[in-house]
Amino acid sequence: MIEVQFFSLLRILLKQERIELSAVEEETVAQLLTRVQQQLSTSFVQKLLTEEGNMHPGTIILVNRHNIHHLEALQTPVRDGDVVAMFPPGAGG
Amino acid sequence: MVMWWPCSHREPGDNGLTTERYARQLLHWGEENQQRISQATVLIAGVGGLGAMVSQLLVRAGVGRLYLVDDGIIDWPDLNRQVLYGEKDIGCGKLQLASERLCAINSATEISLIEGRIDEDFVMPTDLNAVADCLDNYQSRFLLDELTPQGVFFVHGGLHGDHGQVLTLQSGKSQPLANIFAGACQPKGDIPVTPDNVVIVAGLMVNELFATLFGEPKLLNRCLVISLIDFHISFLDV
Repeated sequence: MIEVQFFSLLRILLKQERIELSAVEEETVAQLLTRVQQQLSTSFVQKLLTEEGNMHPGTIILVNRHNIHHLEALQTPVRDGDVVAMFPPGAGG
Repeated sequence: MVMWWPCSHREPGDNGLTTERYARQLLHWGEENQQRISQATVLIAGVGGLGAMVSQLLVRAGVGRLYLVDDGIIDWPDLNRQVLYGEKDIGCGKLQLASERLCAINSATEISLIEGRIDEDFVMPTDLNAVADCLDNYQSRFLLDELTPQGVFFVHGGLHGDHGQVLTLQSGKSQPLANIFAGACQPKGDIPVTPDNVVIVAGLMVNELFATLFGEPKLLNRCLVISLIDFHISFLDV
């Protein structure tokens, strides 16, 4: 299984903290996001990705604690047992 | 440039532990931990919303020494949450006023002022036990973390509207903040910030700062995410 966690505004938007999906061979973060969206009634992917499929600034995506910006971005592979977290941190102080 | 604020003095015979001042917290954390606080040096980057509250609570608890870093001027939009300042302070520099107010609260804390921004020219003191990230932009936060001396705890706080987060990193051992928050967005224009959320996030930061000074950080590589909308907290491991 792959655990996808939602934090802060994403959790409020989706009204849930996490979702678990079965792992799929050779899946990327981008493909996982599409599968997650199919499982949920509220649309959220547009908050993360542009129409061209690039990442909006704002929400960080971590795979097993590592930001995908320092992995292979949306092409980062996800495997069975992985934890994928999405979090839009607050910048104010 | 570091300026020393010359208000630090201890009353004769006051060892910082036996006075009535700390009687109520000594009941909670004991003399050994009070000693750790009184011997600690903490750098607070930014004395705006979070920093004004964090510095005040640390001084009230009897922290030994504070470095305060800021270059801001007090303006009307600051007054909803920056608890060290009032109407008569509009137009004044935050750093000097903060040190005066903190000194009036507890003159035993030694306060050093560093007027400036966290940028490439910033010279980080090395005699630190902890750094409190009370800044309001990611670029400066990332640099502050990068400049934090090896092994020193870096306690980050941030907020937006009804949401906030607190995270502790240990320089040289944890992932850099710039890696963790890569892709985070610095909003254009003013960030929505309320007095209640500032006090809550600042209070949590101070609780964690105490924990680091006691040698038992609770949020090391673990981001506490707070949502006041439904009083929900969660943890994001990083």
